[in-house]
This record gives sequence, C-alpha cells and structure tokens, in this order.
Amino acid sequence: MVDAARHPKIDVRTYTNVERVEGYVGNFKVQLREKARHVLADRCNGCGECSKACPIEVPNYFEMNLAPRKAAYVPMSQSVPLRYTIDEEACIHCYKCVDACGALEAIDFSQEDKVVWEDIGSIVVATGFNHFDPSVIPEYGYGRYPNVITAMEMERLNNSAGPTTGNLIRPSDQKNPQRLAIINCVGSRDKRFNPWCSNFCCMYAIKNAVLLKQMNPELEISIYYMDIRTPSKGYEEFYDRARSMGIRFIQGRPSLITEDPQTKNLFVHSEDVVLGKISELEYDMVMLNQAAVPQPDVDTVSSVLNITQSPGGWFMEYHPKLRPVDSPTDGIFLAGACQGLKDIPSSVSSGLATASRAGRILHSDEWEIEPIIAQVWEDRCVMAQGKVCGVCSRACPYGAIVIEEGKAASVTVAKCHGCGGCVAECPHNAITQMHFTDAQVLAQMRALLADRPEEKIFAFRCHWCSYGGADLAGTSHFDYSANERGIRVMCSARMDPDFIYEAFRLGAGAVLYSGCHPQDCHYITGQRVGATRADRLQKLFEKLEMTSGRFRIEWISAAEGDKYSRVINEMQKVIDNIPHDQLMAEIERLRPEMEKRARRMYETPGVDKALVYSDEMVQAITAKEVKSGA
Amino acid sequence: MAEQKPEDELRIGVYICHCGSNIAGVIDPAEVAEWASHLPGVVRATDTLYACADSGQTLIKEDIKKYNLNRVVVSACSVRMHETTFRAAVSEAGLNPFLMEMANIREQCTWAHGHDKDGALRKAKDLTASAIAKARFLNPLTMIKVPVTKRAMVIGGGVAGISAALDLADQGIETILVEKEPTIGGVMAQLNKTFPTMDCSI
Repeated sequence: MVDAARHPKIDVRTYTNVERVEGYVGNFKVQLREKARHVLADRCNGCGECSKACPIEVPNYFEMNLAPRKAAYVPMSQSVPLRYTIDEEACIHCYKCVDACGALEAIDFSQEDKVVWEDIGSIVVATGFNHFDPSVIPEYGYGRYPNVITAMEMERLNNSAGPTTGNLIRPSDQKNPQRLAIINCVGSRDKRFNPWCSNFCCMYAIKNAVLLKQMNPELEISIYYMDIRTPSKGYEEFYDRARSMGIRFIQGRPSLITEDPQTKNLFVHSEDVVLGKISELEYDMVMLNQAAVPQPDVDTVSSVLNITQSPGGWFMEYHPKLRPVDSPTDGIFLAGACQGLKDIPSSVSSGLATASRAGRILHSDEWEIEPIIAQVWEDRCVMAQGKVCGVCSRACPYGAIVIEEGKAASVTVAKCHGCGGCVAECPHNAITQMHFTDAQVLAQMRALLADRPEEKIFAFRCHWCSYGGADLAGTSHFDYSANERGIRVMCSARMDPDFIYEAFRLGAGAVLYSGCHPQDCHYITGQRVGATRADRLQKLFEKLEMTSGRFRIEWISAAEGDKYSRVINEMQKVIDNIPHDQLMAEIERLRPEMEKRARRMYETPGVDKALVYSDEMVQAITAKEVKSGA
Repeated sequence: MAEQKPEDELRIGVYICHCGSNIAGVIDPAEVAEWASHLPGVVRATDTLYACADSGQTLIKEDIKKYNLNRVVVSACSVRMHETTFRAAVSEAGLNPFLMEMANIREQCTWAHGHDKDGALRKAKDLTASAIAKARFLNPLTMIKVPVTKRAMVIGGGVAGISAALDLADQGIETILVEKEPTIGGVMAQLNKTFPTMDCSI
C-alpha cells in the first residue's frame, strides 16, 4: 500500500468514482468524480486532532461496523493516504474540527466534488468483490444471535489493529470463547443463494483456526465443511498442520443453529457425514464463513466500461483459457476477483498479468485497430441533396457521424467503433460497413438458405455476445439442432430489417435475432438500436399473422451457452409443430410482402453482383446436394 | 503487398480442418473439401489435419503462391480463436489479411451436433459455402493506426489493483490508481495475518 502511494509514477486518487469512459484503445477519456473530503490533501498532515475534537460517532465500515468512527475520520490508522475525510452525511457542522486543526487550516467546508477528465491509454479494472450477508439464511440466526458472527467480523476481532486489539470476545458478554465453530460454504455452493464455490474460504477457515489456536491453545475449534479444497502449493500441507494442532474437521453442512437464551451459547445441528450420525454440539461462538459475491455496483461498472458479465455477475474475460485477463474491449483488462473469485496469490498474479498486457499497448507509439468502420456513399446520402435527415447520426453511440446541412454525412474514422448501427438505420442505403457489407451478408444468407430453407433456423448473432454464446454451447457440448445456420455481425445494431425480410423471403423456417443484454453491449447503446428495431419487426410479423415463434428475439451473453442451445432447440420445436404444408403455405403467403420490403436492399451498391453470384452458388449447392443424395 | 482488385478473376482456396478428432470425429473434412471444390470461384479445396499448426499454415501460404489465390477460406474453429492466426498467415504470403474468411465448423458445428452426424455434415458444408460467398465480396483493408496515450488507469485499490499499478509504474508508465473509499487496501487491508506467509496483510 505504502509503496503505491510513494511511487513517483503512481497518482493515488482515493474517495473517487469513475463516472464515464469514452474512446478506444490508446485513447480513452475517463471522467472521475473526486468526492469532497472537506480536507485539503496538501495541508492535512494526518495528525488526527480533527477526529479527536469531532463529537459525532458512526459505525466504521472498515471495522465491519463493530467499532465507531468519527465524522472526521480515517478508516484505519494505516490508511493510505493518511488524510482525514469529513463524512458529509454524518457531520453536524459544529466546526470543532476547524478549531482543532488550527493554524494548519486543512479543513475546507466549501470544498465541492471535483469532476475531472483524464486521457488514458489503457485501463485495468480491479473492482473486487463483496461479502454475502448471511442474515438471509434463517436457520443460522445471524443478526438474531449475538454470538453468531461472520468471517470478516472475526477478522477484525482477531486483529491486533482491530477494535479489541486482537482479544477475541463474545459479543453477548465480552467473555473469551472456549468452544468455537466455523461453518464453511455459508451462501456458497447453495443453490438458494450462490451456486459457486467462493474459492478462498477453505484456506481462510483453516488460517483463522490456526491463528486462534496459536494464540490460545485451549480454544476448541471445529470446522464444519462440505469439502476441503486445497489445490495449490502448500495448501494441503497447511490443512495437515491444522489437523495435527487438534482442530476438528466435521464433514457436514449444519442445518440449524439454536441458542440457549440464558447463556447465549449456541447449538449447531448437523450431520457428521464421516460418522454417519446426526450431531448437536454446543459452542460459545460460531463464525459463518460467508460467500464472496460481486460488488453491489457491478451493473453500473459494467455499463460504464461496456464489459460483459459471466453468470453470477463476474466480469467476462475475452477467453477463459488463453486471454484470462483481457476484457472483450481492446485496451481494458481485468485483475483480481472482479473477473472471478481468487485468493490473494492469484489476485496478485492477475494484477501483474494485466500490467504486462497493458504494457504492450502503453510501450507502443501507435496501436492497430480493425478497419471495420462505416463509410458513406456521398452520392446516395440525401443530405447532400439538401434534404433533412441525420438518422445515422442519431443511431451512432459515439457521435462519430458529422451532419452538416447541404453536405453528405461523414464518418470520423477515429471515433467509429464499427457497430454498423448507422448502416442498418440509414433509410437510403447510403452507408456501408467495411467487412460487413450488405453484399457480403446477402451472399452468405443465400448460401445458407440455398437448400431446404424451411427446415432452417436462421440465426443472426452479434460478435461479442451471442456468437460467443454459440461458441460456448459448442465448447460445453450442449447439443442443439443442426438445422441452425448462423451469421455473425458485430452488433445487433447492424441487423438490418432488410436481412430479416430477405431471410423470410428466401423461405427460412425461423429467424433468430440475438445480441448482447442491454448492459453488456460492446457499443454502449448499439443493442438498444437493435432491440427497438427487433420489436418493430416482431409487431409487423404479428400483424402479418406469421406463426408465433418463427421470429424470435433473444439477448444471449457469451457466458450463456446453455441458453443459446435451449433457444435453438425451442425454435426447432416451433418448426416441428407446424405441419409442413401449412409452413410452406405460410412462407408462400408472406413471400410477396417480404420481397416488397427486402427489395430496397437490392439497390445497395454491390448487391447486384451478390445476387448474380449467389444464383450461381445456389445452383452449385443444390446440384451437389442432389448428386450426393444428402 | 500485392494489390488485389475486386474485379480480378476470383481464385478462392478452401481449407477444411480436421482439428484432430474435434471436427473429423463427427464429419469427414475431405468430403466437405471435395464438395466445396465445385462451388463457384473455388480453385483449390483440401482438408488439413490442423490448419493452425505450422504445417497447415505453410500449406495455405504455399498454395497462395502456387494457385495464385486471392481469397482464402478456412473452415475450422471460432473466429474468436484463430482469426488473427490465419490473417497473419495469409498476410505473410502477400495476401491482404482481410481477404481471409473463416467458417466455424468446430464450436458451432461438430461440438454442438455430435448427436446428429448427417446434420453436422450438411451444416459444415453450408457454413463453408457461406464463408466462400462472403469471401467473394471481401475487400482488401488496411488496419487503422491510432496514437497511444502513455498513461494507465487502475480502477480499484485492492491487492490486485495495487499489484497492477506498481508493475505498470515500475515499467515507467504514469499510472492513476482510483479508489472509491478514503484509503486504498481493499479487503486485504481488513484481514489479519494472511495465508500462506501468515504475515501482516498491510
């Protein structure tokens, strides 16, 4: 901690929130809100006179609310930086602190939040985890029984810098406990709350037990566990040491804790799996080794940084094996437990890994980004003909399209991230996206739907989420119907209604429109552009009395392989449930309407060639299919 | 790098990867290659044991020269896995990297349709045809070079964030370490002695 604060190249900004992130790799702009401390950092010498003078006491989060702090405070004596903060919510404005500070004049009540923008080349996200609140587990009585405490409360009670200077006492009578139970997996590996293993709690329980036993060899300690997980170097040996010290390990998840109302002692009811018996043992104190959960503001951080979450709320890495500290956004990296629970050595490793990954970029003078950006055909843009439009500009999440009266819209290359929203939204087909042109997509669609299209589930997937979800379905071997035929575009914003009309015109049995969940979108609001359009399409198809389920909208993250597989299988059932004649009749009935609507796309530059080529392709495919008898 | 004109005669090379048994355990890549060889614009189609291995990449690079290919289609794994690999390979052989297209016949085909081998084969053919169709209309593109601001930001002052910030700073990179609480340290600062060293956490 101190090393970080002392390092000449590190600028520590505490009491500060990240509010906005704009830009792209090498060129991020980050908006920070430095909250008003009402203390001038360059004058405060950390003497603490203000705190001594302050008459207000509130619970200290740092001490797990087991001890008070003043309204003028540092969370702990070793705070870095050692600068006091006046807690605006608790302060009664008596100004005794100002008097106590005296000639230093470090306290300034006129101070306001400071909003600053910083230019940044690369970002490391290390926002950590939170502790599960076990009061929602009724059978353990946390919050009702004073002597049932959490692991973090134990940490503070057992800490020489904590409120009891390391003297472990029972909250009910301040006596030292003689019999302590530690219960593992509280809120972890419990489908009612969190299905995951919280990773570090086994070693954490053993560590606490060993420390307490060293301090007081008379203390009887039992650890209730489901499994003891000791996979890393030295872990199993440490577990052995704990057992040799006389710490008792009982395999079983306690079903109930009851309290003797007189003594406030606790009875832990559990099965002892090894002995095959039910036990009910009396303790003076119980420590609940609580689960680790995502931070409460994880959704906000996700949307500020446009990073996806895995199930449970952990930030999603680019690739779980090969790029475990990269986020899907180039230049943003993930360190520590925010990506998935880690113990201290693993958190440090991942932090160091991000420094190496970010260093690759920050030591380069320039960085290459993919040229899959939007481009305007100036002769097709109606703005150039003096008409009022600007639809593209409104669809752009980055303000990358410049609109000037009488001039064709123009794309600022450095600002365009390549979602393709403007391309799909342009009512005059005057914009294209490099590498995802209408001609390319159309040629792909026609090849995929060349043969027996009515059997096919045609799936549009965004690159970042639903294409990743389809990958994960495969990686996890979640089988789904082989009639699925997918096309990848960068964002659901690129999924042009014309493509959907064309898919149905070609006779697709069903069409999936899928992308990221709104908070995960890689392009800020791209998904919303896509979702609004998809809803409009859905309404149109209802009006046209298309069989329900033939057009489906689903938001599927890269972590939801199971969902991708389920959705495709459900769509297969929709097709299976329509009698073939009826399906063919519906396709024929809707074809003229679809053709009328899709025709607009045929005027897009380059599409004429795609039509000619795909006719050849379809001929070749169908001929081969007949020949091979498939 | 040789400039490709979109109007040049189309010469597509198609490579169907076995990926050991990951793909070949479900479908016959040679059959897909034979089938693809009849599609318009395809002048070379073959199967290969591991397209991403040196041997596979060398085959593609040599073929680009031998057959004068101006588009390459690799039917193998996910673009999220090996798109950069094959872009680099074709680029080394003088082809613009954006004239390479992949079909995902592993994650999105054989791995998901092991229960339906005929269905998987039909799908692998269609996905390959689709990639060939897109390849027909690919344009050579140039990567966009952007400048780099040589400053890092670490969001979160716990043990992971501090480790990242220290290592970035030791590399000489100016680093802003942002923490929402009044002190850095995170959860670790609240802990008593920590495993495995059993020493003070601060």
